[in-house]
Amino acid sequence: MKIKVSINGKSYSKEVEGHTRLVDFLRDDLELTGTKEGCSEGECGACTVLLDGNPVNSCLILAVQVDGRTIETIENIDEDLQTIQKIFLEEGAPQCGYCMPGMVLSAKGLLLKNTNPTRKDVKEAISGNLCRCTGYTIIEDSIIKSAKKLRGNHE
Amino acid sequence: MSNLNFVGKSETRIEGLAKLNGKAIYPQDVKIEGMLHAVTVRSSVSHANFTIKDKQAKKIKGVKVLTHKDVSGKNEHGVLFKDHQVFASKKVRRIGDPIALVVAESISKAKEAASKIEIIYNELPAVFSPIYGMEDSSPRIHDEKSNVITSLKMEKGKIDFSKCDYVVENLYETPMVDHAFLQPECSVAYMNNKKLVVITSTQYPHWDRYEISNALGIQEKEVQVINATIGGAFGGREDITSQIHAALAAYILKKPVRILYGREESFLAHSKRHPMIIKTKLGALKNGKIIAMQNDIIADSGAYASWAPNVLRKAMVHSTGPYEIENVNVTAKSVYTNNPFTGAMRGFGATQVAVAYEQIIEQLAVKMELNSFEIREKNILRVGSKTGTSQLIHASAPLGKCLELVKKNMAIIRQKPVSETALTGYGIALSFYGTGYGNGFPDVSNNLAKLNKDGGIEIFSGFTEVGQGAKTVMAQIAGEVFNTSSKNIVVHCEDTDNTPDTGTAAASRQTYNTGNAVMKSCKKLRSLIFKHAANDLGLNNDIGLNIEDGVIYLKTLPSKRISLKEIVTNHNELICEASFTAQTTELDEFGQGAPYWPYGFNAIGVKVEIDPESGKTSVVDGVFAQDVGKAINPRFIGGQMDGGFSMGLGYALYEDLGLREGVMENKKFSSYILPTAKDIPNLKKIIVEDPEETGPYGAKGIGEIVTIPVAPAILNAIYDASKIRFTKLPVTPIEFMKEFKNND
Ligand code: FES
Ligand code: FES
Repeated sequence: MKIKVSINGKSYSKEVEGHTRLVDFLRDDLELTGTKEGCSEGECGACTVLLDGNPVNSCLILAVQVDGRTIETIENIDEDLQTIQKIFLEEGAPQCGYCMPGMVLSAKGLLLKNTNPTRKDVKEAISGNLCRCTGYTIIEDSIIKSAKKLRGNHE
Repeated sequence: MSNLNFVGKSETRIEGLAKLNGKAIYPQDVKIEGMLHAVTVRSSVSHANFTIKDKQAKKIKGVKVLTHKDVSGKNEHGVLFKDHQVFASKKVRRIGDPIALVVAESISKAKEAASKIEIIYNELPAVFSPIYGMEDSSPRIHDEKSNVITSLKMEKGKIDFSKCDYVVENLYETPMVDHAFLQPECSVAYMNNKKLVVITSTQYPHWDRYEISNALGIQEKEVQVINATIGGAFGGREDITSQIHAALAAYILKKPVRILYGREESFLAHSKRHPMIIKTKLGALKNGKIIAMQNDIIADSGAYASWAPNVLRKAMVHSTGPYEIENVNVTAKSVYTNNPFTGAMRGFGATQVAVAYEQIIEQLAVKMELNSFEIREKNILRVGSKTGTSQLIHASAPLGKCLELVKKNMAIIRQKPVSETALTGYGIALSFYGTGYGNGFPDVSNNLAKLNKDGGIEIFSGFTEVGQGAKTVMAQIAGEVFNTSSKNIVVHCEDTDNTPDTGTAAASRQTYNTGNAVMKSCKKLRSLIFKHAANDLGLNNDIGLNIEDGVIYLKTLPSKRISLKEIVTNHNELICEASFTAQTTELDEFGQGAPYWPYGFNAIGVKVEIDPESGKTSVVDGVFAQDVGKAINPRFIGGQMDGGFSMGLGYALYEDLGLREGVMENKKFSSYILPTAKDIPNLKKIIVEDPEETGPYGAKGIGEIVTIPVAPAILNAIYDASKIRFTKLPVTPIEFMKEFKNND
């Protein structure tokens, strides 16, 4: 069936099969390979994208379910997203990097709703994103710093 | 060492931004026009002879089935012994042994065809415990070969527990666990004219090239291995998984072929951490000096040897802990079973034995009514001490300082308020870790440094960026030599066609070994450049020249200057190569010698809270002091300490494969539980510097040691909180409640 969806500010009208998962639609059909797949069962968060601003696991959603909605992936060219990416880089958050697209989008999803999160809020927001390399602490620091920077930018 | 401009700075990661904006290419992100997809048919039983019925599958149009009959070279691979088969030919030895590869234009079509393949098993009696595997009457797993792969011993002095005033003993058992790197394995292979190209994620591209050529019966130079971005490794990408299969399919079909594992297949395909049974006994005099230790270690190697002899050697050498003990007697064995195969994993045997040595010393302290710090202060390795192999620790051994820092900070942690409902406990642990392959094996790293036609500096070496930061660290080392930021160094490390072999990204050896090769080759190149500069500037010699951001000048007369660009114009591109081999010796028949160098040291302290209702243990506070020799990039070291802590936490409290009779029940992330952000406490990290004279700018590797002391520190804290000494991991809420109720 045909779906219409806005991805990273661009609208797409595409034919998809009913069983195609959103992660495959993004990675295979649109070649947006920044979205990663780590477990295929909603446990690792590597496939996180923002659906109408909310972080979701794209391995658990069908492409047809996003018809008429708005998606943001890690490839988006967006000032806030780039600010977060830059702070993650400066703080030294990424190691192998496989969890990072999902982490960054979970961070953005949190900061859209909560501009001044506590460490507990941050931990809660990324608790669905597994990272085997970093032990999370620097990621949390990066998100708290990003919040501060974005508050400044938005003033 | 004081005037360092770039080493010691937390420069940002070279490939960092690409990992954050989705541009980094992992093998699963590679798409090639006309690419075929392959799925692997694996054994579903642990030990059996079998026959394969694949006629139905082969009949399907566009489907190709490959089995052992299609392996054109030798049907074998393995890092030490060639005991793996590319495809099982007659017999399977574990659940997950590859039997066939089904190639089709889509994954679904390949899966469908695979489901039509029938494997008829004639099951054999199986071995699921190394103790049983050692018995003469147990079934043999590899033909008539004994199941005992390795039997090592280490003897120093003469143990006599009757001379000790205090003796403690216990039996510890550590579990089989998984690396659980986040990126599942994937290989894409294709023919580029006559060349077979394999894009994959590996810890050692040059080794994979050899394994592929050996299995296909072609020359190494006909194979090119390209390392895409690697999504974590931790030892789990040392043995071959999908690489030979993809290469063989592309070679036979002359079409691009991709193999991508899902999470469950990833669990089936790669090695695991060796489970160990460790019988340990420790004796001390009244004054607290430990004078005797006996350890007997038995490890389950599973169906294949992988690194077993080396893992057991490392376990044996480190089983005394970082303590000077006059009389030591250790045995170490690894045994084939029909369990999943075990191999390298962060700490490589030294992680398992720490669970025993750091708890038995605590048992001794309790018995002697000494505190955790006193008993250790009396016994730790210091400069001038000798290890269990009689190796002299002659320098760079700041364990005393690490211990002191943990003591100071634990005193502060102890003053913080404690929960009114939870059981609270404090625990510490120390560890040490010897770098490198060791045992006199030629542990060689190579690097090529080049002044390119634009006047830029490039380095070429086959190391791998598994996430530890090697690319940036090597560039920082090169940058230090040329007095410029790592950002100005072009690093080539991904491709076997343009880099020299530099050994595995393993054994915490890249910073130390390859870092030395990078430094040496860059210094050689700098000398050559200075010679040319002196000549071009009309100087008598190159004394007093300096280089800064691509310009060479005379320090006493800076107007005498020439750029690297001009040097190239005058002299063409310049290339210098250097090699570094670590100095170790082979252990003698008593397990004595200098098997590893350098040794790293650390100390950690944690506070735990245990909910007496649910049995859930939480680590709520901690301090971690890590010896690094010299920190090349302090931020990366902090990242390693955090990551190592998290992995140790999972080992202590959560991770359980649910292994029963060779079956892994927990091979998904919904049942194999990894720590999340919520499980991580506020951990104070302290970097301790004590430069190692043979290291590049004084640096040592720390990638593995950061995991080692974590689990025993948590177990010691659990004991402190509950007075229960857990001898098995993980201490899940259920396990805790079982013992807690028994103790009541
Ligand atoms: S791949 Fe979607 S949550 Fe893991
Ligand atoms: S950086 Fe490797 S999984 Fe997060």
